[in-house]
Amino acid sequence: MLELRGVSTRYGPITMLRSVSLSLAEGRIACLLGPNGAGKTTLIRTILGIVKPVEGEILFEGRRIDRLRTHEIVALGIGVVPEGRRVFPRMTVEENLRMGAFVEWAPADLAARRDRVFSLFPRLAERRRQKAATMSGGEQAMLAVGRALMGRPKLLLLDEPSLGLAPVLVEQLFTMAQAINRSGTTVFLVEQNARKTLEIAHHGFLLQKGEIAGSGSAAELAASPIVRHAYLRA
Amino acid sequence: MIAVWLSELVVFALVVAGILAERPAALAATGGALVAAAALLRFAPPLRTALAAGFARHRAAALAGGAVLALALPLALRASPYWTFVATLALLYVTIGQGLNLQIGTAGVINLAGAAFAGLGGYSVGLLTLSAGWPAWLALLMAPWIAVTVGAVLFVPILKTRGHYLALVTIAFGFIFNILMNNLEFTGGPQGLKNIPTLRLFGWAFTSKPALAGVELPAHANFYYAALLVAGLTTWALRRLHDSWLGLALNTLRDDEIAARCCGVSLTRGKLLAFSIGNLCIGLGGALYAVMVGFVSPPDFDFGYSLVMLSVVIIGGVDSIPGVVLGACLLLPLPERFRFLHEYRLLLYGAVIVVMLLYRPRGLWPAAVRRYR
Repeated sequence: MLELRGVSTRYGPITMLRSVSLSLAEGRIACLLGPNGAGKTTLIRTILGIVKPVEGEILFEGRRIDRLRTHEIVALGIGVVPEGRRVFPRMTVEENLRMGAFVEWAPADLAARRDRVFSLFPRLAERRRQKAATMSGGEQAMLAVGRALMGRPKLLLLDEPSLGLAPVLVEQLFTMAQAINRSGTTVFLVEQNARKTLEIAHHGFLLQKGEIAGSGSAAELAASPIVRHAYLRA
Repeated sequence: MIAVWLSELVVFALVVAGILAERPAALAATGGALVAAAALLRFAPPLRTALAAGFARHRAAALAGGAVLALALPLALRASPYWTFVATLALLYVTIGQGLNLQIGTAGVINLAGAAFAGLGGYSVGLLTLSAGWPAWLALLMAPWIAVTVGAVLFVPILKTRGHYLALVTIAFGFIFNILMNNLEFTGGPQGLKNIPTLRLFGWAFTSKPALAGVELPAHANFYYAALLVAGLTTWALRRLHDSWLGLALNTLRDDEIAARCCGVSLTRGKLLAFSIGNLCIGLGGALYAVMVGFVSPPDFDFGYSLVMLSVVIIGGVDSIPGVVLGACLLLPLPERFRFLHEYRLLLYGAVIVVMLLYRPRGLWPAAVRRYR
C-alpha cells in the first residue's frame, strides 16, 4: 500500500531520517513507535510531501509520490490527523468536516458522509455550529479524526492522536481507530504510547534517531528487547 | 416590514442631516440624535432583538429599501457637490475594501500596499488614455488587470516568505511604487498625470449634470451611480465567493497552512487566487478614482492610504462582507467632519485601529457563520 525505500530527510545540515525503508500492509493497522525527537513527525511530513526527501522513493499503491505536492498526495486517498490535531480554530465543526472532503471538491454524498462522522462521534453533532477553537482537546481530537474520514481515505495517518488526552479518551480513540480499520481503511498510527498501540496494531516499526531500529508483527515488537526495555518497562 | 423600512429611513435621515448640518447647533442636534439612537439600541435589548429579527425575516425588503435609499442619496445631497464626491469616494472604498478583505480577512494574505495597487489601476488609466489614446471606458476595463499582473509577479517573493515577512514585502512594494512614480519620466514624476479624459458611455459624458426625477444633480452624481453599481457588484460577487467552497478553502489558509495542505488545498493556487481577485477589485477602485478626479499623482497613493484601506477592513470586521461596507461608509465621510484636525487625521485612524484591536478585534460588524442551504 505505502512503501518507503531508503528515504532520507534533512532539515538544513541536520539529518532527520537516515535511509528509512518500511512497507504498510493493506487493510491493517501499522504503528510507528519511537521516543521524542526520533523523527516520527518528520516521517509523516515526508510522506505528505511537506518536507521533501533528499534521497529514496515513496510509493503509494505502486505509484511514486515523493515528487508530488502535498495537496496532490492527499488527493490520492491519504487522510491525515496531523500532529497537534490542527483543526481550523475559527471555523465551525461543520466547516471543518466540509474541508475534510475538499479533496473531492464537492462530493454528492457529502451529507451522508457527515452523518456517518456524526454517528461515530455524536458529540460533534451537538456542536456542529460551534467554532473549533472553543472545544476541548478531546472534542478537537474527534473533529480531527472526523475531518480526515470525510475524504474517504484509503490510508489514514494518525500522528500522536493521544497526545494530551485523558486515558479514557485515548481508549475511545484507539477503539475508534480499530473500527475505522475494520471498515476497510489502512491505518498508520504514530505513537509514543507503546503498550496501547501494540494492543491494536497488526505490525509496526521502531524508529530511533532517524533510523529504523526494528520491525515486525505487534507480538514480535512487544517481545523484542529494545521495546520491552525502553517502552514497556517490563 | 414597515418597521424595517422605517428604521432604515430614520438612519438615512439622520446621516443626511449630519452631513448637511452647517451650524453647530444643528450639527449637535443630529449628532445627539445619532448617539441617542445608538444608546437606545445598546441599552434596550428587546428592541434590538426585535429589529434584528425583523431585518432577518425581511432580508429582501431590507436590501431593496437600502438600495432605494442609496439611489436617493445624491438627491438629498444635491446642494453639495463636495459631499456627493465624498459619498462616491466611500463607495470606491467599498470596492477596494472588499478586495483587500478577500486577501487579508479571508485568505490571510497580508497586503499592506493597497494604495499601490489602487495606484497601478489609476496610473494605468492615465497612461492608457493620455499616452495610448484609448477611450476612458476601455482603459477602465483594462487597468485592473495591470494591477493583477504586477501583483502576480510580486507574488513570487511573497510566497517564498512566511508570516510577517509577507507583510514586509508588500510594505516595501508600496514604497517602491511611490518612489518609481515620483521619479519616472513617463508617469509625470511628482506632477503626476493631468487631464485624464472623463468617462463617456453611449454618448453621455460624465461631466454633464444628470437629472433624477426632474431634479438636476451635481456632475459627481454620475460617478456616484457608477461607483454604486461597481461597489454593489463586487460586494455581491465576493459574498458569493466567500460563502462558496472556495471561500471556505481560502479560510483554511488563514487558519492553518499545514492543515489546509493536508486537506488538499494548494497553498500557491489559493493565495494567488485570493491575491489576484483582491487586486482586481483594488485596481478597479483606483482606476475609477483616476477617471473621476481626472488626475493622479504619487501622494494620492502613498502608504497612508494603504492604512486607510486596512482600517476599513479592520473597523468593519475582518472577513466580514457587510462589515467592509459599514467600515467604508463610516471611515471615509467621518474624518471630513474632523477637517479641523488637518494632518492629525492619520493619527486618528491609527488611534481608532488600536482601540478597535483592543476592545473589538472582530470589528463593528463581525463575520457571521456562513449559512448553508
